Amino acid sequence: MFALLAALLATGIFWDQPPETAPVLKQAGIEHIYVAPAQQQEWKQKGYEVNAFDASAFEKLLAPGVQYRMDVASATTVPWIDANGWRIQRDGPKKYFYDVPKGRASLAAAEAFVYGADAVIHPDREDLQMLAHMLVFVKQNQRPRLPVMANIGVMDDGSAATGEVLNLLARRNLLFKIVREPDPALNLNIRIGSPEYPKQEAADPYAFAQKVREQLTDEKRLIRIFGSSVVLAHLTGDRGQARLYLLNYSNRPVDGLRVRILGSYPHGDVAASGIADPKLADYNAGQEATEFTLPRMNTVAVIELRR
Amino acid sequence: MKRRRFLQAAAAPMILAETPLAKEPEPAVPAYRIVSRYKPAAKPGMPGPYPGHVVRVHAARSIDAETEKIDATVVRDMIARGMTALTGDSDPRDSWARFFSRDDVVGIKVNCSGAPGIMSSPEVVAEIVRNLGTIGVKPGQIYVYERFKSQMDSVHYDRYLPPGVNLWAAEESRGSVLGYDPATYVDVNFFGEEDTRSNLVRLVSERFTKIINMPNMKDHGAAGVTGCLKNIAYGDFSNVARSHRREKTNTYSFIGTLASVEPLRSRTVLQVMDGLRGVWHGGPFSPNRKFRFFPKEMMFGTDPVALDRILIDIIDGKRKAEGAMSVWNRSMANVKPGRGYDDNPNIDRFIREPGHIEYSSRLGLGMYDIAKFKIRKIEL
Repeated sequence: MFALLAALLATGIFWDQPPETAPVLKQAGIEHIYVAPAQQQEWKQKGYEVNAFDASAFEKLLAPGVQYRMDVASATTVPWIDANGWRIQRDGPKKYFYDVPKGRASLAAAEAFVYGADAVIHPDREDLQMLAHMLVFVKQNQRPRLPVMANIGVMDDGSAATGEVLNLLARRNLLFKIVREPDPALNLNIRIGSPEYPKQEAADPYAFAQKVREQLTDEKRLIRIFGSSVVLAHLTGDRGQARLYLLNYSNRPVDGLRVRILGSYPHGDVAASGIADPKLADYNAGQEATEFTLPRMNTVAVIELRR
Repeated sequence: MKRRRFLQAAAAPMILAETPLAKEPEPAVPAYRIVSRYKPAAKPGMPGPYPGHVVRVHAARSIDAETEKIDATVVRDMIARGMTALTGDSDPRDSWARFFSRDDVVGIKVNCSGAPGIMSSPEVVAEIVRNLGTIGVKPGQIYVYERFKSQMDSVHYDRYLPPGVNLWAAEESRGSVLGYDPATYVDVNFFGEEDTRSNLVRLVSERFTKIINMPNMKDHGAAGVTGCLKNIAYGDFSNVARSHRREKTNTYSFIGTLASVEPLRSRTVLQVMDGLRGVWHGGPFSPNRKFRFFPKEMMFGTDPVALDRILIDIIDGKRKAEGAMSVWNRSMANVKPGRGYDDNPNIDRFIREPGHIEYSSRLGLGMYDIAKFKIRKIEL
């Protein structure tokens, strides 16, 4: 059922366990892996499609997830999210590597899928089955990618300060894209270091993101999410359609999520990982915006919207 | 032998000669945006047909302060006397029939945030359910409800109620939005929080035709006191704790704003304050028994502002008697988040806002001027 699954996807698996663990992979239906160069021949002899893994050829990403840092003073009680979408958007098509602890492999695969990243994941052995299920979901929901939709253009100078601003914008679902020059089609265009966005303001990325939100206004935001502070959105689309990706960075399901998307989309369908036949509830396509409830969400959901 | 005492007079406030709010600028009121498709009733339930009227029924035998055992027979008498005194009827069934008909679907908004130390007493809830039954409201048309399932489960109302009465909580798991009406909410941004909506309990808009509000007599670290207004407001909307994240809270204006949202305002037709137990410090929770007391009283009315105005005096009077600072104290010197509040009644977590009650009166929810009240005291 899962034959050659990983080979069909942009997501690969780095497996550093000895070849004796082949049955574990087989049980998960995985027959294509990345291995250490020294093990390559041995795995091939076991009938596996293997690639040698060279860490230097990959850009390492954070293990995605949520840090509930109760003992750390902060401006809000919103948990800290370790997410890589902003980096993938910033750095573009590269080869990425996730070296993730137990419980995070599925989320890493989902994140790579949402942002279209070519990624290799080094999972905990016990996560293999769940990862395989996620890869099936990813395969089933592969579509030609649509252009990124955003309110905000960021002229990226490549600095760490701008990177942290991108991170905070992403965490607050203030949708951006990287632009070379100001794009008049966007609501806001930001160049760190300009008179309107001085560098000293960017030193406090939380306050900076808040300023951007106020300038944009909540009414004009392409996406708003109510009911969770651990779900991040990525929106793509063109003309009469939009595709909304939602990622739940916590390790628990979200019981109910209300989404507001700017624009009128009378038709919507959802696919959600680990949920059979999911439905959007309380759907309301108004003139200005469309709202719906996702009754339950595990790791990732893809919502197709049509005019 | 019952000792009965009727008083109908303007009650003299016990200690409330001055309110610091009068000397200080009014707390800032954020920009609230109320979204609701519901129109107010011709005569909204709050303040209802008895603005400024409060019936106070005290019964020394209602609860044993040592064992905290409630005498259900005394409770029955308290409710019968309170309701008939409120409406002027001689038969309690006539009193209840003024508010409810056999076709109504009735929500009973209990308060379980202080359970198991203090809550809307199951014996009182059961007696209200029994009274609804006497006028033909079937058990299946009655919903005892609260926001958090874990809190309500801890009370075990099911052990006191007849089969068929619904027990319902908006949040089976904390933070779930599924029990709320997505189209009825108050949108406000207090401090830059991402989720700016507080949605109304879904059953209030979609199922209930009438609501009975059943708060307790409690101190509240942020709101000053928590009575009718706080129970019906914060107990019927999601995402409200954000109003008291910081020392200076937004409870002053948020409580009344929520209570005024339709259809909540129109459908909440009766206020029954369960003061058999009370909490004079540390509320709304009650982890520390030394801050519980026993007013052994219930209040009846339709005007939540009037009942809460009296509640201020009850709580502040008790605090004064215990040597604790007033709920009107606004000194930041006493505000020490996370430092001893649970054990020391002269430490606060927030600046209290008992002014939320007067503010609510300005939203049309009831009368605040105690000199104009019609208060009837009954001693059993």
